[in-house]
Amino acid sequence: MATEPLERARQEFLAALTEAGSDPARVEAVRVRFAGRRSGLLRELEDALKTLPREDRPGYGKALNELKKLIEERLTAAQRAAEDAGTKRQVLDVTLPGRRPVTGALHPVTLVRREIEEIFLRMGYSVADGPEVEDDWHNFGALNMPPDHPARDSQDTFFLKDGLLLRTHTSPVQIHSMETMPLPIRIIIPGRVYRRDSDLRHSPMFHQVEGLVVGEGITFGNLKATLEAFVRVLFDPRLAVRFRPSFFPFTEPSAEVDITCVLCLGAGCGMCSGSGWIEILGAGMVDPRVLSACKLDPSCVSGFAFGCGLDRVALLKYRLPDLRLLFSGDERLLRQFEGVAR
Amino acid sequence: MKMSLAWIRDHLEGATPADELAKRLTAAGMNVEVREPSGDDEVWDVDVTTNRPDAMNHRGLAREAAAAACGTLKPLAIKVTEGATPVGQLAKLTVEDAQGCPRYCARVVRGVKVGPSPARLAERLERCGVRPINNVVDATNYVLLDVGHPLHAFDLAFLKGQEIRVRRARAGEPITTLDGVERKLTAEDLVIADASRAVAVAGVMGAANSEIAPSTRDVLIESAYFDPRSVRLTARRLGLKTEASHRFERGADRAMARTAVDLAAELIVRLAGGEVAAGVLDSGPELPAPREISFSLARLSAFVGCEMPKDRTIRALAALDLAPQIAGDTITCTVPAHRVDLELAEDVYEEVIRHFGYDNVPSALPSEAVRPGARLGTWPLTERGRDALAAVGAAEAFTYAFVSEEIEAATSGSPLADRGGVVALDNPLSARMAVMRRSLLAGLAEAAGGNLRRGAERVLLGEVGRVFFEKGGKVAEEERLAVAVAGSLGPWDDLRQVDFLDLKGVVEALLAELGVSETTWRHATAPVLAAGEQAEVVRDGRVIAIAGRLGDGAAAVFDLPSEVWVAEIDLTAAAAAAHVPTFEPLPRFPAVTADLTVRHKLALPYDQLVAAITAAAPEWLEAVSPVVRYRGEGVANDEVKTTVRLTYRHGERSLTQDEVNAAHFALMDRLGRELAVSFS
Repeated sequence: MATEPLERARQEFLAALTEAGSDPARVEAVRVRFAGRRSGLLRELEDALKTLPREDRPGYGKALNELKKLIEERLTAAQRAAEDAGTKRQVLDVTLPGRRPVTGALHPVTLVRREIEEIFLRMGYSVADGPEVEDDWHNFGALNMPPDHPARDSQDTFFLKDGLLLRTHTSPVQIHSMETMPLPIRIIIPGRVYRRDSDLRHSPMFHQVEGLVVGEGITFGNLKATLEAFVRVLFDPRLAVRFRPSFFPFTEPSAEVDITCVLCLGAGCGMCSGSGWIEILGAGMVDPRVLSACKLDPSCVSGFAFGCGLDRVALLKYRLPDLRLLFSGDERLLRQFEGVAR
Repeated sequence: MKMSLAWIRDHLEGATPADELAKRLTAAGMNVEVREPSGDDEVWDVDVTTNRPDAMNHRGLAREAAAAACGTLKPLAIKVTEGATPVGQLAKLTVEDAQGCPRYCARVVRGVKVGPSPARLAERLERCGVRPINNVVDATNYVLLDVGHPLHAFDLAFLKGQEIRVRRARAGEPITTLDGVERKLTAEDLVIADASRAVAVAGVMGAANSEIAPSTRDVLIESAYFDPRSVRLTARRLGLKTEASHRFERGADRAMARTAVDLAAELIVRLAGGEVAAGVLDSGPELPAPREISFSLARLSAFVGCEMPKDRTIRALAALDLAPQIAGDTITCTVPAHRVDLELAEDVYEEVIRHFGYDNVPSALPSEAVRPGARLGTWPLTERGRDALAAVGAAEAFTYAFVSEEIEAATSGSPLADRGGVVALDNPLSARMAVMRRSLLAGLAEAAGGNLRRGAERVLLGEVGRVFFEKGGKVAEEERLAVAVAGSLGPWDDLRQVDFLDLKGVVEALLAELGVSETTWRHATAPVLAAGEQAEVVRDGRVIAIAGRLGDGAAAVFDLPSEVWVAEIDLTAAAAAAHVPTFEPLPRFPAVTADLTVRHKLALPYDQLVAAITAAAPEWLEAVSPVVRYRGEGVANDEVKTTVRLTYRHGERSLTQDEVNAAHFALMDRLGRELAVSFS
């Protein structure tokens, strides 16, 4: 068909105009390309008329006129739209702050706690809780810290009346859980704990998370693998993990767990006192005396437990300088945690 | 504790490089934390765990090093040259309380010349953080650091009757300890006494009345084993923590008592001259039979999770002086007196595993079937509360659970806070942290004040936490959620001071987030909140929340610079009210809306107005919502104009404008008659 180039031109024009949107410069470029007086496509199509066989000319001429009209109308409309947009643009300052609904912020310790809980929930752990006011048996006795045990020294205790106390660690929930839950047990216990201590690195109220796995055939190797998986997900998959023998009354054997310093990745820095390592967890196999205290038979079941300071993890993760800031209720600090995935 | 590298090496055969030694000790649990060169020696700061008093000395560490394959432990060389005079002619020993003191060994050295110690020995002591005093005292300290047994040297001339009596103190008996403090003892404290008075607090500290002086000629050396509990109770009661008490309360070595007194006597003669009297006064030379612990190598391997090689296991146990005997799969250890920490098979497992190397145990995740985990206890509730706080734009704060009595009293006047008595701490850190909170407002109002004083234009704080009640000798813990709102709210180009409806909006949104619906708000009179500017939220006859402006009394306690609006929600009660949505069919026919302006007395609350409208309207009235409230020109002082929007929708058909109009006017007629309101 002789009018085929006209149809092609029409489609090209419409596409180009859509693409130009309300940008005046681009609308003008479209005008020049299609309707420019010297080299516009319309001009070329007009010139082509003369080269056509005589019988094709009336049809072609009619179609050409329709195309001209369309281009003219659409260009005018597009130019007007571009102009309007320009005026609106002048009035609207898109860099002004929006009328934003207030966004909330969870506490940094809540954020790290949830992160840790998620890791363990995915590994089939439940999240347990227990009272913050405890009796001596659950906080100390059942955990192989009989009265006058020297290990009680390191856990300066707030006492209440009637032999009650504020729990000094989340470990009493281990005891409650072993007393009541069916085996196998796989839990973590985040929670608030209290010790009579206050300085840059100690707050009289702080937070811990502990883990407890009890069942048949739980091994020391299981403990290692679990904690390695945990710290690598929490901090960095490149971390090296080091287990050092240690002592806790409620685990035997016991271990301190060090990780590569998360700040310098082992090169040595202020945070790790140049050692390249930071101490992050205490752990061990549940002491048979603790299992027995919970009426479990150490000859049939074994287990491991671990714990770390949640506040300390938050300090490490967010580079906070002072533990006590966490309890200041200062919105200038708290609002820095807006928009952290929860 | 500070240790000398050269001194550790004195006890070892074989020269392991310092780096290797430090690394292996650390891997075995004797954490070498800091190493500092000091002359031709190195000072190591070693963290020995509290269950290992036997390793809190150079020989003990050397034994650990030997077990960690850093050479072998040299035998202790003891050669005391004794004079002719039997010790029994020079001093008398009576142990009246053999339970508190199972063993007391004493030797006498006569004719010493007290003076400074040789430089080399003094230097070693200083490296370990012990101040040199004189050659006799230094000798006892040296033996302590060397083999770990605490000793004490008395000037024999000051022991009245040349006698040592180990007895309980008399109630109120005075003693001036070596630190110059006069102390009063109780009948539970064990003392070392002479014929007439106490000369030392057993296992804790000596007394000034018998200490070694430049004039001392004859010395009585004490090397005893005291009951750990007794030493601990006394040290704690006196607030005295010494090198001696630290070791005794963790468990000293009963066998070493005798060895140490020999070592000390020999060293005193070497440093200060004199002659050792013949024999030893020893109240308990017979040691209890050593404990035996047997375990199966296969069970150990199952416990660890990998095959534990027999030869390495035996070697480590032997190096630790545990005398392992093998019979088939069973290994039996004999526990030497210095290992007070070994009782059960698992205790020995630890010895084997730590010398095998924790890092050499292969890691393997537990292989048992995994069941889905869940949040238990109050976690689902409190987590939902925190999400609700974030959803309404609050910043989550953590405040202390203990507060001052004054703050507690100022914040507990509310139906949520007076559900039990105050729980007081017996030993608070300070008066500011004396009692447990019964309301979260205690901490949150203070935090809000802090933010306002720092110049915050808007405060929107929330907290989820526990409150504590004393109930019949027990403590009840309840979960609460609270918010504090202050300053100005709204978009930046339309800021307003916070008022009650802002707070109510926050609380409504919180309750919605918590899944609580169908609540009633009513005026309340909680003392913690300002009179006339507060409400309580009731569901099923139970108060589940309070909200209002913090009262002037409380505001004064917190020194608030401007008004603070607060609310507290009983999370447990709210959870009981939470509903699970079920699908309601979506409307099929269009709605017709009509606005209605009602002029009425202020005394008519909005909810009653809505109730009256609902009662008077046809059943196809779908909703009533507020549009505007107006007071001012043209409205009497005790009146208000309330405009509401009525949404009419029939469930079965489209409504015509005419029938809506008819119903609307009928509604107005009825309202006008029943409520004495007008519509202009």
